[in-house]
Amino acid sequence: MTLFDKGVHPRDCKSLSAGAQIARMPDPEKVWLPLSQHLGKPAEPIVAEGDRVLRGQLVAKKAEGLSANVYSPIAGTVKGIVGHITASGKKQDHILIENDFSDESVLLPVLKDPTAEEILARIEEAGIVGMGGAGFPAAVKYDVKGRADVVVINGAECEPYITCDYRIMLEYAEELLRGIGYVRKACGAKRAVIGIEKNKLDAIAKLKALCPEDITVCALRTRYPQGAEKQLIYGCTGRVVPEGKLPVDAGVVVANVHTVLSVCRAVEQGQPCYERVMTVSGKCVEKPSNLWVKNGTPLRDVAKYCGAKEDCARIVSGGPMMGEAVFSLKVCTSKTTSSLLFLDETECETKVASACIGCGRCVQACPMGLSPTFIEEALFRKDYAEAKRYGASSCISCGCCSYVCPAKRFLAQSVRLAKKIIAERKI
Amino acid sequence: MAEISNYKVAASPHKLDSSTTRKVMLDVLIALVPCLVCGVVYFGLYSLALVVICMATCFLSEQIYNLIRKKPFTFDLSALVTGLILGLNLPPRAPWYIPIVGGVFAIIIVKMLFGGLGKNFANPAATARVFLLLAYSSVMTKYIGFDIAGNMLSTDIVTAPTYLSGGAAAFTGTFMGTGGYWGRVLQLLFGAVGGSIGETCKIAILVGGVYLAVRRVLDWRIPVVYLLTAAAMLLLCYGSAKEMLLQLLSGGLLFGAVFMATDYATSPKWKYNRVLYAFGLGVITVLIRRFGSYPEGTSLAILIMNLLVPLMDKFILPVRFGQMTKAGRPVPHVMAWTMRSLCIVLAAALVVFIPITNYTNVYITKNGVYSYVQDADRKLNGQYEFTVQGGAPIMGGYVQNLEYKVYVDAGTKTVTDIVPIAQSTMGYTAELSLFEGKTYAEILAQTDLSSDSDFSATKTNTKLREMILECFSFYDYNIGRYERLSYTDESVSLAERSGSLYRITVSGIADLTEYNYKQALKYAVTIDSETGRVYAITTLAESTFGYTLDKPVFLGKTKQEIAEMTRDEIASDISTGATVTNVSVQGLILRCFEVMETLREGANG
Repeated sequence: MTLFDKGVHPRDCKSLSAGAQIARMPDPEKVWLPLSQHLGKPAEPIVAEGDRVLRGQLVAKKAEGLSANVYSPIAGTVKGIVGHITASGKKQDHILIENDFSDESVLLPVLKDPTAEEILARIEEAGIVGMGGAGFPAAVKYDVKGRADVVVINGAECEPYITCDYRIMLEYAEELLRGIGYVRKACGAKRAVIGIEKNKLDAIAKLKALCPEDITVCALRTRYPQGAEKQLIYGCTGRVVPEGKLPVDAGVVVANVHTVLSVCRAVEQGQPCYERVMTVSGKCVEKPSNLWVKNGTPLRDVAKYCGAKEDCARIVSGGPMMGEAVFSLKVCTSKTTSSLLFLDETECETKVASACIGCGRCVQACPMGLSPTFIEEALFRKDYAEAKRYGASSCISCGCCSYVCPAKRFLAQSVRLAKKIIAERKI
Repeated sequence: MAEISNYKVAASPHKLDSSTTRKVMLDVLIALVPCLVCGVVYFGLYSLALVVICMATCFLSEQIYNLIRKKPFTFDLSALVTGLILGLNLPPRAPWYIPIVGGVFAIIIVKMLFGGLGKNFANPAATARVFLLLAYSSVMTKYIGFDIAGNMLSTDIVTAPTYLSGGAAAFTGTFMGTGGYWGRVLQLLFGAVGGSIGETCKIAILVGGVYLAVRRVLDWRIPVVYLLTAAAMLLLCYGSAKEMLLQLLSGGLLFGAVFMATDYATSPKWKYNRVLYAFGLGVITVLIRRFGSYPEGTSLAILIMNLLVPLMDKFILPVRFGQMTKAGRPVPHVMAWTMRSLCIVLAAALVVFIPITNYTNVYITKNGVYSYVQDADRKLNGQYEFTVQGGAPIMGGYVQNLEYKVYVDAGTKTVTDIVPIAQSTMGYTAELSLFEGKTYAEILAQTDLSSDSDFSATKTNTKLREMILECFSFYDYNIGRYERLSYTDESVSLAERSGSLYRITVSGIADLTEYNYKQALKYAVTIDSETGRVYAITTLAESTFGYTLDKPVFLGKTKQEIAEMTRDEIASDISTGATVTNVSVQGLILRCFEVMETLREGANG
């Protein structure tokens, strides 16, 4: 029951950075703080040019509806609200802050024995979002009003290269477990399960030794995408989240390891969400490392600090399977930037797609049970209803189909496009 | 730090598996090497030349087509795979133009005209094989024998039957010191039999198949379920576990299951569809073998199932993760459980029925025209079971319907048992003790068939004796192993010898002047040169009107006895027309005796 039989098994390449203790990157001279580091509406800035801000000071307030607060990661002077490019290529408003290196801070009050309501309020106030990558405002996600009985903690980290969650589980295990306690209380769930892939045996052992009774550790088969929400829930609890529904409909709340750590720090230290642990890895980096990086740090600074080599073929923000290729190092980190990979030719060959030979590997690999090759065919015929019949709408963009394709066809990309068109045209 | 500027942008995923179409095709080529090597060792360098011609034709056809259609050249090796598979499917001594015709057909017509790699709806190699079989049937079924005596590379072409087309005649007596049934199994396993270049050596095919399965190039489900289904179907159709094993190891079944049924473009994409597809293959293959007019059905079965693949891919879809019905319940995994249960049932059927059917019947192909023998089965304990039917005219136009099962021990040529199935009314039952336990020679010599019960029962006895004699003629013609002698003349088309037995295929004409009709006759007459008596007569052709030869008149008689027979003695009790036939055959049999004597003298001198 603890595994799903689909997916792929790419070489995990985690050994590059798995041994690197989490270090702290020196604060940058300037930060471009994105107003939209989360799913939903951008936050509304409450500072103006020339204002002096401290580390941990609220600089943008959450908008009405789905949104999250943004805090200043450094002490310094606001240089304005400027348009700046984001990883996805769009220009968005950023708050530009120049560091004065005084590191003066203003934190939230520390909570002692908080109630569920207090924890939820703190999570919302601290601007915590899902730090696995999706960036869904955590307070909204955890406010399930008693509909969930299990909290599943995502420590699977199935993407190759990335080791930040692994290092957190090793180095901040106690904080993590206390954080799980707060999240569990906030959700009103009876128990919590930590799902960890079996390629992180020391993390499994460490957490198992420290776990209180209401938290269990579930060792998962090493298989990508084991950390995808629905697959993780199935692996840890055996429950299947119905298509088009949320985990809470199966009585589950999923929280990423890093999110839980942020919750713990927000509650116990009053530290809002303004920095995160990031993995910097790949063959084109001299020092693969796991770093505390302030939100809004330009990727150029990260690259410089870790010694990125110039023959780098592709720079990826996030994992190699689902992350976005960075088109400019001017882009800045956000709450959801879990890693920065500097890959060489051998790690990400650019191939030319050839004819589909009909091997069916994409069908076998798809963890959602779709038929990517037929979806692509239907897409090219502009037969979107047929694409939907083959399940295009259920794609989770894990990229397994493209990964296994011997003809190097752009299957995941096609299915994503089909999904988008189907959603737009309401087919 | 120098500026990083040379990086590119692409959509995720950024990491790809290392496999490519070329590598996949290369793996298939590697997996086929053992088959090729065995084929060349067994059948000589000429067969290697055939395979090379075939591969070259396929490769060039594809490139020339690309040139004409102004498309880029393809270097994905898929044409070479098609060429190699088709080449290994050819008979070892096919003329040089056969691989060229086949290769062009496979690549241009089956593959490129439908859109090239991955777009063809039928397996190019299987389709080309079927095409060649239809277009050049005499060439495509001419297989040479395998000679384990050491002259494997000899260029003599001796046409040999395969197990599927010629039954037991395909085998040599012993193989690697093992005789009998297991010797035959070994022969098939090592490929020491007639057949296509690459498909005889099963061990080489298995090695290739395991390699591909380990490399995850082929889906193991297709060959495994195919063979499982075929095994169960063979048990069902032939009722014999031993025959099942021989059939599984014969012909192109294993080669087709491993290398042709698993062709990517023409097999389904979802694993449970593949199970269904393989199941269909197994059923159709065995049905063609058992009930069709072709001895081998693998290519045809693959072709038929290929046509159903698009349908399966379109309408039988995998159940999506978390897929719900309109009523909000999880969609049941019907296909998955059906296919799993199917496999379990098939496997269980084999486990249960293999021990039960170990010694039951083996169907034998029927050659020749028979009045009584309906069916013959080889029981693997060495006995033969004949089903005979006929009518005994009793009196006043009343014909008694008879049906018996006659069991014959092939070694001692003894009737071991006779089981009456039907002896219609009036109680004129045959006196079975007259024949049971008697040897063929004794039955031949037996003239007194009077039954102590009744005169009419004597007629039943006479008919039963005729039936038994025909059983032995059947055995002689269909199962006996004869070597061919070089003798022909205007009436004799074939002369063969097996020990002291000479079998002469003779033809002639019965001139039915009173009916103004000439009847063409053809018989295989076997004469025992030691006793000088007619041993067996098998009718090969007797044209119309039913003036059939009354064989017991001649069976067991010497040359002199036959020569001295008067027309009255020869006269058939059925009609005067049949009497004319009998008289004509008298001459033919005497001719046979002369031929036998000539051949015998030639052998002694």
